[in-house]
Parts: sequence; C-alpha cells; structure tokens
Amino acid sequence: MDNDKYIEENKHLISDHDYDGIKELNNPMPKWWRYLFYATIVFSAVYIFRYHVFGDDLQIAEYNKEMALAEANKPKPKFDENALVLMTDADNLAKGKEIYDKNCIACHGAVGEGNAIGPNLTDKYWLNGGSLQDVYQIIKVGKPLKGMLAWQNQLSPEQMLQVSSYTMSLQGTNPPNAREAQGELVE
Amino acid sequence: METQHFSYDNKIVKYFAYATILWGVVGMLVGLLAALQLAFPVFNFNLEYTTFGRIRPIHTNAVIFAFVGNGIFAAVYYSLQRLLKARMFSDKLSWVHFWGWQAIIVSAAITFVLGITTSKEYAELEWPIDIAITIIWVVFGWNMFGTILRRRADHLYVSIWFYIATFVTVAVLHIGNSIELPYSWIQSYPVYAGVQDALVQWWYGHNAVAFFLTTPYLGLMYYFLPKAANRPVYSYRLSIIHFWALVFLYIWAGPHHLLYTALPDWAQSLGVVFSIMLIAPSWGGMFNGLLTLRGAWDKVRDSATLKFMVVAVTAYGMSTFEGPMMSLKWVNSLTHYTDWTIAHVHIGAMGWNGFLTFGMLYYLFPKMWKTKLYSEKLANAHFWMGTLGMIFYALPLYWGAVVQTLMWKEFTPDGLLAYPNFLETITQILPMYHVRVLGGLLYFASLFLMVYNLLKTAASGKCADNEEASAPALHSPKKREKGEGLHRWLERKPVQFMVLSTVAILIGGAFEIIPTYLIKSNVPTIESVKPYTPLELQGRDIYIREGCNTCHSQMVRPFRSETERYGEYSKAGEFVYDHPHLWGSKRTGPDLARTGVPGGKMYKTNVWHYNHMLDPQKMNAQSIMPKYPWLIKDELDISSTPAKIRAMTTLGVPYDEAPYPANYDQVANDDLKKQAEEIAADLNANGIDVTSDKEIIALIAYLQRLGRDISVKE
Repeated sequence: MDNDKYIEENKHLISDHDYDGIKELNNPMPKWWRYLFYATIVFSAVYIFRYHVFGDDLQIAEYNKEMALAEANKPKPKFDENALVLMTDADNLAKGKEIYDKNCIACHGAVGEGNAIGPNLTDKYWLNGGSLQDVYQIIKVGKPLKGMLAWQNQLSPEQMLQVSSYTMSLQGTNPPNAREAQGELVE
Repeated sequence: METQHFSYDNKIVKYFAYATILWGVVGMLVGLLAALQLAFPVFNFNLEYTTFGRIRPIHTNAVIFAFVGNGIFAAVYYSLQRLLKARMFSDKLSWVHFWGWQAIIVSAAITFVLGITTSKEYAELEWPIDIAITIIWVVFGWNMFGTILRRRADHLYVSIWFYIATFVTVAVLHIGNSIELPYSWIQSYPVYAGVQDALVQWWYGHNAVAFFLTTPYLGLMYYFLPKAANRPVYSYRLSIIHFWALVFLYIWAGPHHLLYTALPDWAQSLGVVFSIMLIAPSWGGMFNGLLTLRGAWDKVRDSATLKFMVVAVTAYGMSTFEGPMMSLKWVNSLTHYTDWTIAHVHIGAMGWNGFLTFGMLYYLFPKMWKTKLYSEKLANAHFWMGTLGMIFYALPLYWGAVVQTLMWKEFTPDGLLAYPNFLETITQILPMYHVRVLGGLLYFASLFLMVYNLLKTAASGKCADNEEASAPALHSPKKREKGEGLHRWLERKPVQFMVLSTVAILIGGAFEIIPTYLIKSNVPTIESVKPYTPLELQGRDIYIREGCNTCHSQMVRPFRSETERYGEYSKAGEFVYDHPHLWGSKRTGPDLARTGVPGGKMYKTNVWHYNHMLDPQKMNAQSIMPKYPWLIKDELDISSTPAKIRAMTTLGVPYDEAPYPANYDQVANDDLKKQAEEIAADLNANGIDVTSDKEIIALIAYLQRLGRDISVKE
C-alpha cells in the first residue's frame, strides 16, 4: 500500500490514521447521501404530525371506513330469502353440484349418503327440517357446535340456493353405504 | 520510543473459524430440512423431535448464534489484536469464551429438539441457558475491554467502535428480554405479558438483527474489506456519522414488527419513522465499503474474496432499503405474515452474513497459514453457486408472497372472500416452496467447495499459534490535545466511548417501553377477559412446546379481509394474561386468535381438532401441517400444575382472588381433571376412543379458549 499512487496523490488522505496498515481518507460525505438523510427526517416529522397531531385516520378508523364502504357496495339480493323458489333447471343444478362437490363431500359423502361426520341427505329424515327453506337456512348459518359451517361467509345467496336445490334433488336416490336415518321424518 | 515485542493469539482465531464453518454446515443443513418439510410434510417424519415447529428454531438459532456468532468472534479475535497491537487480554478468558459458547450451542440444540423453548423468536432458549449466555457474553466483553485497555495503538479504529456497540447492546437486549420467572429447573414464564411482551420481544428481536447480525459485521467489513482490497477507507467522516446515527436510530425501530397489531398506534408510528430514518445511516456503511474499492475494481474481477465481499455489502444495501419499505404500513399490510419476510431475512443472512463470512475465511486462511489459497477457481465456483442458490431461494418466495397476500385479500363481487379456504392459498404457492428447496440446496452444497478449499489451503501451510509482533508502547495523554477533534479524542477514551454508546442505545428503548407500563390507556382493561383454566394453561404450554406459533399467528389485524376470514380484530386487553404472547410473525397456516369462538368463522369441533392433529392430510390431502400422533398417545404431566399456577400468580395473574379458592395451586388439578373429562366425554360421544389424561385434551381445551373471552355468544 505504501507505494500506491492512488494514495500518494489523494488529497483526502489523513496522514496520521494507520490501523494495522489500513489508511483512511476523509472524503466529504456524498451530497445526495446527506439529502437522503434529511429527507427521511422530514418525512418522519410530517408522518408523526399527520397522524398524531392533525389526527389523520389511525388503523381502527381506517378499518371502520373500509367496512362501511364494503357495506355500501354490497350487492342487493336477487331474490327474497324468505320466499325461496326451488331451482330445477339443469344449469343451476349443475352449479349446485359443483359447489357440493367442492365443499360438502368431506362430511356428507360423494352423493349425499352421509358419513361418520355428517348426516345422510338422501333419506326423508332431517335433523333441522326438510323444507327448502330449512335446508337453505342451515346451509346459511350452519350449526357450528356440531361442525356444520355457516356458508354465508363463503357462498353468495344465489350459490346457497343452488346447492340447497341440488341437495333437495338428492332425495330418494338411495345411494350405497348410506348412513342410518337421523332426526324427524319429513314427508 | 521503545519497541515492545509480543505475540498475537492465532490459535483462538483458528478455533472460532473452524467453529463457524462447522456450525454453518449444520445450521444450513437444518435449514434445508425445514424447507423440505414445508414442501413435503413427510419430512417431518411423524416424530416429535423432528417436526417443523422444533426444527425451525434450531435452524434460526444455529445460523444466527452458531454460524454468525462464531464468525463474529473469529473476526473480533483476529482484527482486535492487530488493530490494537496487543495480544488478547487473557488466554484463559478466550478459551472459556470459546468452549462456553460451543456448549451453549449444543445445549440449545438439545433443548429445542426436546421442545424446551420460551417461544420468543431468536430468544427461545430457557432460563439456565440464558444465564450461561450472559456469563459467556460478559467473559467476551471483559476480554475485549481488557485488550483495549492494554492496547499499544492510541486510537480505536471504526471496527472497534462497532464491536463495543455490539457488546453493550447485545448485553442490554439479552438481559432485558430474558427476564423470566422459572417454574421448574429448566422452564419459565416471561415477566411481561401480551402487548408488553410483544413490544419487548421485538425491541429485542429487531435489534438482535441490528446488533448481532449487523454492527459486528460492519466492524468485520471495515477491517477485512480494506485489507483484502489493499485500499484506504473511503471516508472517515462518513464512518463517524453513520456509526452514531445507526446505533442511536436502530433501537427505536422494533415496533415495525408489530404494525396493525394491538400495539398502541403511537408506538407503531415510532417504529415506522425510525425505520425510514435508518436508510441513510445503513447505506452509509454500504457506500463506505463499496467506495473503498475505488481504484481496485480490477482486483474484484480476479479475487473471489472481494467478490464475496462486494455482493455481501450490496445485499446489505438491498436489505436495509427493503426493511424500511416493509415498515411502511401499507407495504407491511401486504408483506407481513407472508414469505416476503422469509426472503428478506435470507438476503440478509445468506448475502450479507454468509458471503461476508466466506470472504473473511478466504482471506484469513492463507494469511494465518502463511500460504496461498489452494484454488482461486474453486472459490470462484463457490461464489457463483452460492449466488445462484440465493437467487433461487429468494425469488420464488417473493413471488409466492405476492400471490398469496393478494389471494388473502381478494373479494368476489358478492362481497365474499374469493379464497375463503386458507389452504387454497398455500396449495397455490407450493411450487414456489419446491424451487426454494432447490435454491437452498445449491447454497448448502456450495459450502463444501469452501470446506475442501480451506482444508487444502491449511494443509499446504502452517499456522503459528502465536504470531510474533512488535509495536511502540501506548502514547495517550489524558487531556484533549490542542487541535485534537472531539471524536478523535473519544477514539482514545474507550470507557467514555462505551458509556456514550450505551446512552445512545438506551434512549430509544426507554422511550418506547416505559410508557406502555406507565400509561394505562395503552392496554385498556376488558372485564370479560379471564385467566386460563389449569387445563388450558397446560395446553398452551404444549402449543409452545410444539412451536405452533412458528406457523400460526394469534393476531387478527383490523382489515376487512382478516375480520371476514378470522373474526373480530384483536384487542390489547385480550392478552393481559399471556405470558408469553403468542402473536406469531408468519402465517404458514391460518390465524388462530378466534378459533375458540363458538359459531365463529374459525370454529372447529373437538372431534375435528382431534382428527386434525392426528392426521391433517386425512382431513385435507394437500395440507402441509405435520402430524402430531404423540399428543394422542402421551399422558399430560399434571405434576407441574401447582408450580405453574404459583408462577403465574406471582406474575400478576389473579389466581389468588375470587372466584378462585385460597391456595388454588393445590386444587387446580381438580378443575383440570373435570374439564378434561368433559372434553373426553364429548370426543367419546362422537365415536373417538380417548381417555381424559392425554395431552391432546389439554391442547384442544386451549384451542377452544382462544378468542372466546370477548365474543362468547353461547
């Protein structure tokens, strides 16, 4: 290092700095580095003033606004949930089957025969009522303590009606390995 | 002036260097296993000792404290002696330090495998080991200061400023965060609870990154980079400014790990702004490193050592820009809990710490063994393979993180979550986990090129255990001399230097932590929040033992996308009895803060939990959760209940007030058994053959309690 031209010629060399052969230059700090530092300090001051002096929205206010906006933009239901009409067209039933296959098989079996977890959906015995209105309602709000989820968190009203209608269409199909009857007979 | 003759202790440096290599291999091998487990759950081996929840802390601790730790000590013991022109203060202390640290590492590995953990990230070690760490750290500091006081060089070089700041701050952080009340000869509860525990934990956790992974490695860089490049340091002025700015500002930034949580807003905002203010001081270090190479870039082309250092310093610059960006609340709302964080820390660990360590080792071995590096070609191959490994590790995780966070937040036009099933979002990014394994494998395999190269180098030379040296005696007048700058004066006053740096790092911590204790409004009381039942407490300790918090958070942030998925957002007052807090920092599985709310969005029945713990893949074929068959088989140890209740009471949990009977610790097990029988009866009624004395019962009790207190609607 001693014969290094770069060092010899460098006007920033500090002559009395030598640490185990390491020398030090005293270049000025890059200008933009200083401005970057100042800018972050200004940012910080503005940030603290904005949220803690001038009272811009903190996280809970932000959340309440987000929820209010979602509520305002919620689509209007296409049908009256208290006066349901059974869907019987192939298109809607196919969609209902699709939803069933994705979400319901684990507990109610591939074709509604029921299993160790969920009841048989093909017989005339029902634990929570057997009308379309009843089936729709149990799908919507669930029976959490028994393991039935509230599907209104995951399915739209239309989708719930589709899967309800599909479920009704399974009545009397007598699948193999069906679970024993539970609940009340609904004719 | 008379010239004094002495010798440098090279043997201790050699040992620390070998240790960093050995633990590097071990730590990264365990990391590879962890990556495999996330891609293919079969690698959990269905054994309690090898599940991800226990493996992950082994990996993080091994890399941080064993690999980087020994790297720090190798660098300090080599450079300190030479910069001060003095042998280490005491050989005895050096060896106590070396063997003590290795013993701590081994005991850490054993206790983690056994599930003995405090659950606090990077501070998982239990109280006896915490005490051992404190003692060994003091030995290190004592040895270092002894050497500094016996130095022959007048002034302390910038590396040593960083070493001093490292020593004092790590001591303060470690002791501050580890204040815990033992309930057995090996286990304990932290004195802090809930919000305070989280704040102290991340004051520690963030600054472990700052003062264990950053400041000592900046010191290392300031010595080894100019040495290897044979170039003067670019700017002394910049060194001074960025050193003081860094140590003062760093300590405030911890709360950026807790954005959008139940931590008070003012503390979060401090975390944000101090992180942003850290960009320039951090980059000061990067630029002083890179600009030191001015006029030496031709050397970089040929020298693997310099290549490693350049990429290390660049990775440092990237991480220290990315970190502040992730501290902006809107960015954090996207990246937090995702693999973005994992990618971010690996740029730091693999790039900055790993590559700088490798660069140092390639410099150190030829120097100490007085020979040439066995193969520059092999070292270059190591460099390219390692770089490629890093890219293949980080890029898929960044990509996966973006995909997953957008899936978490997407709503359908009907206003429903587009991906209500958490598992869908994992299945979607699973291919990224596969590529990540490949990246990790490349990086790990490249290590062996170095091991072979260094062993060959050592074999071709001879390392003198004591290297002869000479220097004139110390000349350091007491008073400031005429024309001597204030900082220049401080550089030859180590005690004043230490005091000043201690003050600098205490201010931020004190400003943030003390008010959360003193100002009541920071943690509003919630009437309905009650202490855990004895069974739930036992279940909670199983949750901690199995490291459930490594994959499941317990903190619902106030976002529509989270309250729709998980339920009501979390409140500070809910966690007042949580010693420790279990908020978590990563969601490899869904948040569990509200899983016990009957009728809630996350609610599952007892039977579901039982079957799911036994075999998650049977419930969801694509689940990557490990199986926990031993919980079903093993009996719950209830002999610890009285001691646990007593410890919690001491910490302020009101088991000594109504409605609890007097001496509740003595009768707590009666309550425990009663609750256990209720759960077992429910399981039996649903066709599961289980007795009430099993561990699974306690874990189910705990899970069913989560989030209930403020939302019971029974």
